[in-house]
Amino acid sequence: MAIDRRLVYNVDWVLVGSSLALALTGVAMIYSATHGGRTPNLYLKQLALVGAGSLALVATAAIDYRRLADRAMLLYGASVVALLYVLRFAPVIAGTRRWILLGGFQLQPSELVKLATAVFVAKVFSDSRQEVLGLRDLIVPGAAVGLLALLIAREPDLGTAVCLMPILLAVAFLAGLRMRAVAAVGTALVLVAALAWPLLKDYQKTRIYTFLDPSLDPRGAGYQKIQSQIAVGSGGLVGRGFAEGSQAQLGYLPARHTDFVFSVLAEEKGFLGVVVALGLYLLVLWRMLETARLARDRLGAFIVAGHAAGVGFQVVYNVAMVAGLVPVKGLPLPLMSYGGSSVLSSLMGIGLVLSVRMRRFAN
Amino acid sequence: MRIYEDLRVVQARLAILQATAVVLVAALVVQFWNLQVVRGRHFRELAENNRSRLVTLAAPRGALLDRNGRVLVQNRPSFNVVVNSDSPESLDRLAGRLASALGVGEASIRERLARKQPYRPVVVKTDATLADVAALEARRLELPEVSVEVVPLRSYPLASAAAHALGRVGEISERQLQSPEYQALAAGSLVGQAGVEYRYNKELMGRDGFRRVIVNSRGLEMGEAERQAPEDGPSLTLSIDAKLQGAIERAFAGRAGCAVALDPATGEILGMASTPAYDPNEFTTGIDPELWASLATDPRTPLINRVIQGAYSPGSTFKVIAATAALEEGLIRPETTFYCPGYLNVYNTTFHCSAKAGHGTLDLRRAIANSCNVYFYQVGIRLEISRLAKWAKRMGLGAPTGVDLPHEIGGLMPSAEWKLRLFKTPWYGGETVSVAIGQGQVSATPLQMARVAAVIANGGLLVRPHLVRSAAGMEPVNLGIQPSTIEAVKAGMRAVVAEGTGWRARFQTIEVAGKTGSAQVVAKARLEKSPNAPEIQPHGWFLCFAPADRPTIAMAVLVEHGRSGGESAAPVAHEILAEWFGLAKPPPGAPGLPDLEAED
Repeated sequence: MAIDRRLVYNVDWVLVGSSLALALTGVAMIYSATHGGRTPNLYLKQLALVGAGSLALVATAAIDYRRLADRAMLLYGASVVALLYVLRFAPVIAGTRRWILLGGFQLQPSELVKLATAVFVAKVFSDSRQEVLGLRDLIVPGAAVGLLALLIAREPDLGTAVCLMPILLAVAFLAGLRMRAVAAVGTALVLVAALAWPLLKDYQKTRIYTFLDPSLDPRGAGYQKIQSQIAVGSGGLVGRGFAEGSQAQLGYLPARHTDFVFSVLAEEKGFLGVVVALGLYLLVLWRMLETARLARDRLGAFIVAGHAAGVGFQVVYNVAMVAGLVPVKGLPLPLMSYGGSSVLSSLMGIGLVLSVRMRRFAN
Repeated sequence: MRIYEDLRVVQARLAILQATAVVLVAALVVQFWNLQVVRGRHFRELAENNRSRLVTLAAPRGALLDRNGRVLVQNRPSFNVVVNSDSPESLDRLAGRLASALGVGEASIRERLARKQPYRPVVVKTDATLADVAALEARRLELPEVSVEVVPLRSYPLASAAAHALGRVGEISERQLQSPEYQALAAGSLVGQAGVEYRYNKELMGRDGFRRVIVNSRGLEMGEAERQAPEDGPSLTLSIDAKLQGAIERAFAGRAGCAVALDPATGEILGMASTPAYDPNEFTTGIDPELWASLATDPRTPLINRVIQGAYSPGSTFKVIAATAALEEGLIRPETTFYCPGYLNVYNTTFHCSAKAGHGTLDLRRAIANSCNVYFYQVGIRLEISRLAKWAKRMGLGAPTGVDLPHEIGGLMPSAEWKLRLFKTPWYGGETVSVAIGQGQVSATPLQMARVAAVIANGGLLVRPHLVRSAAGMEPVNLGIQPSTIEAVKAGMRAVVAEGTGWRARFQTIEVAGKTGSAQVVAKARLEKSPNAPEIQPHGWFLCFAPADRPTIAMAVLVEHGRSGGESAAPVAHEILAEWFGLAKPPPGAPGLPDLEAED
């Protein structure tokens, strides 16, 4: 598994650089959001996690993605077991079972399952030799991914569960899904949403009602959306200044170091900061998809594109949520949000992409 | 070696994904532009509202001073417990905790919290003790929505003395909150609710300041953004003389009644007391409902300011008006005499005199001095009701005096038109006979009668009584009474004290002019049936001014159920005048001036 010079030569430094820039911006925003509170040293923990994540990035990049894909079924099986374990044995934290305690660390298996899903789906579709795929070809991988999503949704963690879908759809799309089928899938998603409505829990329904009209409950379910919009809007063009945003500093902004970390950035760094951060995210996504284009095989392209779709969905949803465009869901912002598993999986994802890119000329 | 795969479809579709990413990110940028740049100012305001709370800094009300600068009403610092949160759950949670911390009933706290207006603090306990403050301070972290404010509280060092004149403060009422006069005041504000405090509320209140504080999402104060110091209410100098007021209060100790003393030249009120009174200190922090109920239902009406709200038959004090009217109308001259056999048969009725045996033949001076009814029956018959009413009204009866106090009543001066309008019956001559001696329908407040005394004292000026020395529009009105008339009436009033019914108000060194009176409260027949029942005894009146030649004080004294004015009211007036002229007996045991007072 030695890394030869040719591999190092093909490292995408733009991708690595912009990813680390985002991760470090996240550390700064976490500092701003928590330095005056009960856990003022959270940013140091996050910094250490970024460091550890960078090592994980290198380690992942060093693994040949084809060796990884050969063990796709193993990864899938391990994912199912881990998720079952979480459901059965994990402690209840904030009303959910998401984390496994590992020697003082909380590990969130669902974050790593996203990577495994990308590899697994890519493997399934790249093994298929069909030029054109129909809906029928989606059934088996769809069921497999659906099982993972179901297990995650049971934690409950609907946000992360939904994140698996773009991976499946993007890879199927690249693998040659008929345009008719693409349209059918789109229609089906709308139908599922409609049918799922009666199954939603009351608090979830309330969230959607108040998303449509936050003034229904300004102190309750609408609170997060209103406060986030106020934070974002009050940032103006240039922002209130680092660690100067009243919404973040005085605690009006909910989950400000985790899911709403982008609100802190928007409040304190303003529209200009937002444009820079979104630019970096676009750059990351763009470079990933470039990597997919340059990949030497379908497997590599699918792994990278699937992962990019998952990350892209999560970034767009989280930022849209911060801007009040979509209902509030517990979904961290990749690379920036506080959280060990999220940072780890984000950086390992970059490593996975590098693994493909570095081997574009290798056998 | 593997065959290179055909990646053209993949690459084409990747381009679509890339384009999708660009479009989505661009859409987000547009939304942020909209929120941050287009609507940034709006959200900035919302953020400001979020983080800042307005804390009122109550302006101390202006002090009330007597004419010599002595403090009548002032302020003392006190603690208010206020709640800032608007969230219903937190208010719900607070009610119980505050009740236990402050030792107050939970229901009363809930009731106060229910009155909270959004974004305004609500006071849950006024004048909290140091123990309350300590208890809250200890729970500061669990009760971040609760804070303690230091506010100036009204303090009445004289307690019940001059209570009706000075008035009281209390929490602004629901009705006042709605009225434009009190706009910009929050629920729980203290405003004047009676007396000078009410009438001059606006002037006394000053302007509240504020602190705009930064609070975190739990309501905990993190800093101060802005402060505007309160502007103290200016102090107000009253015409009251604290020493004289004290003498009035002492003279009325244990008695029901009232007295008001005026500067006869200006109408400035030198002293004013109505008893029984109440202690305005009880009201400043919200009066205890039980105490309020007992005050409001007390048959001795401690809340009523008898000086301006008590309508009494003027009795024989009305003879001052009748005499002035008859002289001015030219119906009698000072030398005019009538014969008093002790009664007068007229209009098929027998009208009695106070002296059963009769006064014999007397002129105006002796008629006033001895309060001869028959003489004034004759005067009344000649005046008729129209001219009597005209002069009574001219001298201030039947309409409020316009004193700078709230809720003054006007009393009643009957006339033929008035009776026809109200009862649809004509006026009878016999009624005029009664009215001429101040009985029958006529009624007046003690302040109106003090003003009548002042008219004679100052030579015909109808003063406007007032308590605030700088009050505007209080110039006296010249009634244009001939000096000879004034002299004749004054001669009668001097004789009242010098040799007549008011002798108990006499001094050796100062000449007092006065007029006694008694106001029947029940029909004569009933009084004769049980002559000693205290509650049906007539009220005793005494009008006076002194010194008779250059008066510095004019006064009306009314002692409820005091039988006759000479018996009950004149001695009270004597005690008050003694203080005014520095003739009061020094307190026992104290070295003082030799006793100049002469009693006979």
